[in-house]
Amino acid sequence: RKEILRLFHRYRDLAPHLVPLDYTDQPDVRVPYEFIGSMPELKDNPFKQRIAEVFSEDGEGNMTLDDFLDMFSVLSEMAPRDLKAYYAFKIYDFNDDDFICKSDLEKTLNKLTRNELSKAEVDLVCKKVLNEADMDNNGRLSLEDFQNMIAKAPEFLSTFHIRI
Amino acid sequence: MAEQATITRPLTSSKRHKNIALFWTFLLNPYCESLPPRPSDDEEKDEVRVDSNDPEEMFQNIQYQKEIIANIRTRPWPMRRKLRVLKQAREIVLKYEGRLTRTRGYQTAGADLLKKVSRVLYNVLVLFIPWEMRIKKIESHFGSGVASYFIFLRWLFGINIVLTIMTGAFIVLPELLAGAPFGTTRSKTIPKEQVSSAQDLDTIWSLGGYLQYSVLFYGYYGNVRKIGSAGYRLPLAYFLVGMAVFAYSFITLLRKMAKNSRLSLASASDENYTFCWRIFCAWDYLIGNPEAAESKGAAIVNNIREAIVEEQEKKKDTSLAVLISLRILANILVLLSLAGSIYIIYFVVDRSQKLEQQKAELTLWEKNEVSVVVSLITMIAPSAFELVAQLEMYHPRTSLRFQLARVLVLYLGNLYSLIIALLDKVNSMSSMNTFKRNWSNSTSYLATVSAETNLSTAVPEIAEVRNGTFTTAAVDLNHTAVDMKSAMSSGPPAPVLIVLNQTVLSGYNARSQQDQCWETYVGQEMLKLSIIDMIFTVASILLIDFIRGLVVRYLSDCCCWDLESKFPEYGEFKIAENVLHLIYNQGMIWMGAFFSPCLPAFNVLKLIGLMYLRSWAVLTCNVPHQQVFRASRSNNFYLSMLLFMLFLCMLPTIFAIVRYRPSQHCGPFSGQEKIYDIISETIDKDFPLWFSKVMSYVTSPVVVLPALLLLFMLIYYLQSIARSLKFTNSQLRLQLQSVIIIQRTRMPVFFSARLQSPEGGNKKPEQESDITSVESPARSTSPPRRNGTVTSFQSPAYHGNSIRTISQSASQAEARAGSALCSPSTPVRPKPRTEHASYLGGSSSSCRSKSYHHVAYSPSMRYTESVHSDPLFRKGLRPILAEPAIVAASGYMGRRAHATRYVIVNEHEPRKKIMRPGPRPSRHYRVLDEPAEIVELYPRNTKRYTVRPPHRSQPPHLSEEEEEEVAKNGGRRASFGQSHRPQSLSDLRQSARFYIGDTLDSRADPSLYGEQEDGDYAEQWVEEGSRSRSRVSLKTPEASQAHGEQHVKPKSKRKGEPSLTESDSASLASSSDQQNSSTDQYIQVIHNKEKYLKPNTKLTKKKPKTSGERNVPGANDLVCSKV
Repeated sequence: RKEILRLFHRYRDLAPHLVPLDYTDQPDVRVPYEFIGSMPELKDNPFKQRIAEVFSEDGEGNMTLDDFLDMFSVLSEMAPRDLKAYYAFKIYDFNDDDFICKSDLEKTLNKLTRNELSKAEVDLVCKKVLNEADMDNNGRLSLEDFQNMIAKAPEFLSTFHIRI
Repeated sequence: MAEQATITRPLTSSKRHKNIALFWTFLLNPYCESLPPRPSDDEEKDEVRVDSNDPEEMFQNIQYQKEIIANIRTRPWPMRRKLRVLKQAREIVLKYEGRLTRTRGYQTAGADLLKKVSRVLYNVLVLFIPWEMRIKKIESHFGSGVASYFIFLRWLFGINIVLTIMTGAFIVLPELLAGAPFGTTRSKTIPKEQVSSAQDLDTIWSLGGYLQYSVLFYGYYGNVRKIGSAGYRLPLAYFLVGMAVFAYSFITLLRKMAKNSRLSLASASDENYTFCWRIFCAWDYLIGNPEAAESKGAAIVNNIREAIVEEQEKKKDTSLAVLISLRILANILVLLSLAGSIYIIYFVVDRSQKLEQQKAELTLWEKNEVSVVVSLITMIAPSAFELVAQLEMYHPRTSLRFQLARVLVLYLGNLYSLIIALLDKVNSMSSMNTFKRNWSNSTSYLATVSAETNLSTAVPEIAEVRNGTFTTAAVDLNHTAVDMKSAMSSGPPAPVLIVLNQTVLSGYNARSQQDQCWETYVGQEMLKLSIIDMIFTVASILLIDFIRGLVVRYLSDCCCWDLESKFPEYGEFKIAENVLHLIYNQGMIWMGAFFSPCLPAFNVLKLIGLMYLRSWAVLTCNVPHQQVFRASRSNNFYLSMLLFMLFLCMLPTIFAIVRYRPSQHCGPFSGQEKIYDIISETIDKDFPLWFSKVMSYVTSPVVVLPALLLLFMLIYYLQSIARSLKFTNSQLRLQLQSVIIIQRTRMPVFFSARLQSPEGGNKKPEQESDITSVESPARSTSPPRRNGTVTSFQSPAYHGNSIRTISQSASQAEARAGSALCSPSTPVRPKPRTEHASYLGGSSSSCRSKSYHHVAYSPSMRYTESVHSDPLFRKGLRPILAEPAIVAASGYMGRRAHATRYVIVNEHEPRKKIMRPGPRPSRHYRVLDEPAEIVELYPRNTKRYTVRPPHRSQPPHLSEEEEEEVAKNGGRRASFGQSHRPQSLSDLRQSARFYIGDTLDSRADPSLYGEQEDGDYAEQWVEEGSRSRSRVSLKTPEASQAHGEQHVKPKSKRKGEPSLTESDSASLASSSDQQNSSTDQYIQVIHNKEKYLKPNTKLTKKKPKTSGERNVPGANDLVCSKV
């Protein structure tokens, strides 16, 4: 409860003019993405837009309080690995087709490295990733592929969370 | 749960409810469809089943709802949906809970209360974890790597707290409270000539003076067996606590390590995903600081580049002579510096010892020389190693490992050379002592006096008695050396000269004797080292990091180059080095703890200071290291280093305890021969007689040796168990992997079937009722349907034709192909099949033929039905119908796939009419069974693979698809071919894929159907079973005809080849057929697999004749293994 309240205050601080203090009548308020993305926790994250999109109901990054709570509950320490993996998958799935395909991978890489890798390197890495994790050889990663891969990653749990 | 039947009145309302829920499901999260287990489904289903009158059931329901409430957090739904479901579940619970018996209600309420209380307690506890907020802050700025250092620091702090409590409570406090007060005994008094300087700063600084005679050091503690009114046995406690410090450290370390390894169990030695992890787990979501983000980004780029380089390195391993020589040079340098540092330490200790003996007054530098030098070395050498490591041009990770190992060796070398030098000094001290005693004993009367004084002041009475004339002098002597001088001068004139000589010596001796509490000396050195180390750390943080940071930040504007990114930069926070330093520090504590009981307490203070200073420095003026050492992985790495350190630090202490005689005049063990005598003494005196007897038995070799043996045996046994467990673990992992593969391949069919279900549903209403087959009504019918038709062509074709009558098969296959193309005329086909079955001449074939009739009939009927409904489907089916003919024509080619398909039919037959869903589970069963089968077989499989290349070269004749597949497989095998296990793994996967292909065949229609709609699955299937591709691509009969023509050539070849080894293959076939004739379906399944292996063996036999004999036993092996 305390956490929720704290989150609410954080949420409200993002856009005090938009969010009312009183939530009893459940107003339909959305904080636009510009505010969400400027949170210090997300500011430097290369995937901030994706995170906001994935967790927002409208897919545009504009979040209601529910979405906001949702986001931080998934990214909290308490969330189980599978849940985290599911959302991580969605975050990395840029085109929302339920598969991480090559273009998604390229986008991920470019975001991660800030376009510092050359085209050939990106290609090579994408190929390698697909080679490693793609169990059914369909040229892209399904959720199961991803979960399987993530389940074995030692640092995933420690890195995929945001403290607020 | 069988509550399905208990749904009663509220059904309607709940149905509406369900509809709403479904509506929400679709509206709110369309992606929910992609979620395989569809938690929403059972969710809503279960919400329905609440109303019943059976309290037990109701209770269960409520429990279920509660479970939902508890687990709602773990569902990947948006918050709104969660809230809604939660609300519903709560309502239900509230509504029905009252109906339960009161006790149950209380029980649950109590459980709730307990949970709440425990949660509050937990929250409160978290408040008390020291520096939690600080660490979290650091973590959120710099990522988990840097935080791991602080967590480690905190953990060490915890250990030291416990050690402090142990020593404080059991040694220091009793001594302070009940021991003899300061100044009463000799070991607790400062010598007179030192009193004047006892409060000087430099004396205090070098831990002399008052500090030396305080509870800080070993020498202060009295040797009275029992102190205080309660009779506290201080010497015993001292010894036991000294040991307990080590024991506790060991136990906590090991426990922590075990816990860590349990945590990281999932990630044990699986390095298959380097690239994936580097990408998907690279970003630390905690990072919220632009600079940290910058450096993290750079680190990730480095990391990925590094991986690429590594990958390229794997391909071309160029070993340059220059590089090797460079590395050798580097190692020589490192060794030299190690040796140099050890020599310097030894030299310094030696020099300080000499200086101490020669000069009365030591300068500040001379006093602290040893520890300063050691600290300097520990500070400078790691950077030197780093420079050297650059010369080596290793892979960054390897170089980091090397670096860590070298630094660890350096630290250990330092500590060891120090302690060895100290012990050496102790040795020389004691030997000098004894030498003097001997010498003075050999001299006359006066010498005995000096010897007496030398020996001990603890026995002044004896001296008095012996030297009657010198009573007063002797008594005086006992007090101080200075007094003795005056006493001597007032004595008889004759021996004055000698006496004077002696007095000089003995005066010096007396002083050094008291100094000669070597335990105190060692403790002093350790504490000094620790202090100097702390000062150096603080200084380095302040000077190097802080000043550097300041300079970089504020002077960057007025400098000609960019200070922030070029030369000085900001100081990096080197996690690994810093952790090593902590470990070194802790090692020092362990080494000195026995000789200086307050060392842990001091260390606690030091760690607190370090914590604050470091965290401040990190937050203000550091950037994280570019080469981030893996946090989670390193946890155990650090710990194992710590364990190593602990062990090695324990050794000198134990050695000193066992080997050296405790000082005679100070410390709790004075007057004893060895320190550990305290134990035997206590046992002798304070325990009943029988206990000491028992102890003497227990410690006798009769017991100890067998116990040791037993221990060794136990260790061996446990190790072998661990090894076998590891083996099973890897086996299970293999199995799991293959299961996952198969399950994965099932999934798309699942979806496509789901897509179909609206259309398929109206045709087969009776299936819809069944829950299990709801998602695929079309699938459950269509596979058997096609199976039936297909097998009716194909199975005879290869049973009869390909083996015995090839020419006939060809002709018949053609004929059949024609018939297949024109219409589903089922009655025609069974006949030829039965004919060919008769060739086989088995009773099984006849019985099978009967069942085939069934199959052939029923599916075709249905086929005609379905043809009307969906033309697309028909299009897809047509080539399939055509293909078996081709398959039959090309004999072996299709066999692998069709053998299994044929089995599927067999399985279906009995249940077919009775129950639709039957086939599906059974098939899954079979499919799932496969991997296990293969795993068991796998040694044999690998063996076969070694023989296979000839066979591999064969399939290209078969067909193009086959060729592709083989090429693919071959490519994969080539990549995996280095080691044995990967190969077998690829084996496994490959064979599993055959099956995938097969099952796919059987399901081709649904998937085909799906392909028409979204084309996504097409790619997948294409790669999986290349055979299916042929169907996908060849949707028109003309194309398939063309395809058939392609096969003509291979077919003709085939014809020739089988005839060569007809006898061989016939025998094999007969064996397999006999097996097949057994009515048990399950065995048939297995035999089919075997059969599809067998064609391979046959094929291999055909080309290289030499391998013929080899294969026959192989096949027999297989047969045997199946039974």
